[in-house]
Amino acid sequence: MNRGRCLALLAALVAVISCLPADAWAIPVFARKYGVNCTMCHTAYPRLNDFGARFRDQGYRMIGREDAEKTVLESPPPVAARTSAGYDYIEMRNVPSPSLKRGLEVSGLDILAAGLLGQRIGFFMVFVPGITEARGLAGQEATLESANLVFSEIGGSELSLRAGRFEPAYTAFSVKRHLGVAAYDVYDYSFPGGLQYSATQTGLEFRYGGSGRLRGAAGLVEGSGTNRASDNPQDAYLRLEGVVGAGEGQTAGQRIGLVGYMGRARPDVSVAAPTDELQSFNRVGVDASLNTRGVNLGLQYLWAHDDGALWGQADATTWDGGFAELSVVPGMNTVVLARVDMVGEPSFLDRDVWRYTAGGRYYFEDNVAAHLEYSHQVITSTAPDDPTEDFFTLRVDLAF
Amino acid sequence: MRWVVSFALALALAATPLLLSQVPARAHEGILANGLLPPMPVPADNPQTDGKVRLGAQLYFDTRLSADNTISCGSCHDPRYGWANPNPTDTGINGQVGGRNSGTVINSGHMRYQFWDGRAGSLEEQALGPIHNPIEMGETLENVLRKLNAVPAYVEQFRAVFGTDVTTDGMAKAIAAFERSIVSGPSPYDRWLMGESEAMSAAALRGQRLFNGKAHCSPCHSGPMFSDQSFHNLGAGMDRPKPDLGRFDHTKNPADRGKFKVPTLRNIAQTPPYLHTGAEKTLLDVVNFYDRGGVPNPDLDPLMLPLHLTAGEKQDLVAFLEALSGPVAKVEIPQFPVGPGEVADPKGGLR
Repeated sequence: MNRGRCLALLAALVAVISCLPADAWAIPVFARKYGVNCTMCHTAYPRLNDFGARFRDQGYRMIGREDAEKTVLESPPPVAARTSAGYDYIEMRNVPSPSLKRGLEVSGLDILAAGLLGQRIGFFMVFVPGITEARGLAGQEATLESANLVFSEIGGSELSLRAGRFEPAYTAFSVKRHLGVAAYDVYDYSFPGGLQYSATQTGLEFRYGGSGRLRGAAGLVEGSGTNRASDNPQDAYLRLEGVVGAGEGQTAGQRIGLVGYMGRARPDVSVAAPTDELQSFNRVGVDASLNTRGVNLGLQYLWAHDDGALWGQADATTWDGGFAELSVVPGMNTVVLARVDMVGEPSFLDRDVWRYTAGGRYYFEDNVAAHLEYSHQVITSTAPDDPTEDFFTLRVDLAF
Repeated sequence: MRWVVSFALALALAATPLLLSQVPARAHEGILANGLLPPMPVPADNPQTDGKVRLGAQLYFDTRLSADNTISCGSCHDPRYGWANPNPTDTGINGQVGGRNSGTVINSGHMRYQFWDGRAGSLEEQALGPIHNPIEMGETLENVLRKLNAVPAYVEQFRAVFGTDVTTDGMAKAIAAFERSIVSGPSPYDRWLMGESEAMSAAALRGQRLFNGKAHCSPCHSGPMFSDQSFHNLGAGMDRPKPDLGRFDHTKNPADRGKFKVPTLRNIAQTPPYLHTGAEKTLLDVVNFYDRGGVPNPDLDPLMLPLHLTAGEKQDLVAFLEALSGPVAKVEIPQFPVGPGEVADPKGGLR
């Protein structure tokens, strides 16, 4: 980064800090509806706190105020947006096509809508508009990232049904609401063209639990992108979790979860597979979210078993991985985080992926944060020079 | 050229908060918003009149409504202590100690339910309850009627106000009318809402944001009275050998076990100690109670979660709670009409 741009960036940040009004309030969808701040549900936006987790799990209804709820027809327009802008640096070395990208950039724009259609019918939608990549502007494909209905308290029970496109319960740590920018590698890893564990899915998901300490979720989803339009939904999953102590394991309480995922996918066209028939793949995960005052330790381990054809191999293969993430809230407006990711790739590839991430966020307001993050990924193998990726960002993340 | 583009982007970044500043403060909007107190609601069958309020004041402070002529309504709802009681729980006749902290009378006419368990739906319904409560005033309504009807001046006043001799219905209505006259004026929070930007301190403003955010207060303490007029189980006292089950004792609904009314927070700084147990001596103690997530019990409200507030945040929250106190008109102990051979406590039962 040259000196001029450094100064420009510094000037921008100083301007942001000095110009922030003292009485600005967070106003995304739910905050506007209820007249509260983002910190009601996000101790450190975008990550949910325990209250926010309960609010989401009971179909976007305020706990204890279900009878006083208002539908989208009775409340302000339920639309919000989120984006970020700042300086990004990404350099990839020792790969077939080394690259370096750096500069000021506006990256990502999500349009969100959420609320209640009826007293027990919630909805959540995230539309990602298409943006053509340009200098200073990160491109993105248009997609409907989420669009789902939540039917709560079915038959007066603690059972709810989420239908549509949603972030499934098998991702114990929300990819859409995590504090970092760098990906959870184990959630993104898959056989070629296969299931991206972190992606939203289209399907049905039943959830049980709310007041109890043991919760469960089971779902049926479309699954891998390599499947054909004529294929029925192929993948099913089951998640069980228990919480010890007060809270949901987000910022209070200790949560332990277990996930089983059974899927079927067709080999990607890029793979020299002996068949194009549906093949099986399975995931088993165990996770924990441990909290002590202001400190959260998130642990995820995932073990995978894939039919060989999905990798263009004769025999079935396994791989595994996980991450450990520590986040600390040392003060009113600050959160810092450190994470180690690891993916042990299938044995025939003979390599591991390691990522080390550190960063922090400073909140000018509940919904405006400066985000600083550095992430270093290295793929260790027997090759003389390990491929690496270095990622650095300093940006302002905001939602309104 | 690239430097120019970068600088333009920097300016755009800097403009973001300026755009945000155009968004009005929304503390008084939304389902959980608080806002200004509306005019006091008055039942159609008990309109406020000066004569009725004066009569109600006399009855409120008259110790002859108790069995041993020592306790008045004001004994436990004392104007010197925010129209509440500085002790954890009430002390009634013969030194008997009650089980719950006395709630304030200030603005009580705005509350949908009276008593911690909400067993009375109006001030009129509430007014006579303590008289025949054996632990509080311990008197029968028949005896009270006999005593007051023996006081000519009381009978005269009742005839002027209600057109009858002293009746329990008239007593209840007069006391309720007096209680409806006990209201708070604009608090610093109210004045801030009305545009007096300096009315609340910086700490109180920070506390307000916590109140409507991280501290999770507003889901229950919403509305102009800072109460959603509902009932919740905070766990207070639920770790005792024989816990007070609150609203359950009135409704017998298992879902109401350990639930108590969400009290108003207006003038809360004037009415320590706190919670229905009176176990929390200061506002900071109450904040600490919530910060711990209440007291675990099988029926603990799902709203009760550890808050992880910092010491500074707790102080800010207390500053905001202190900013909810508005002035309350001073009420003098009235002159009591006396009957043959009777002398009312000139201190109005205040102890």
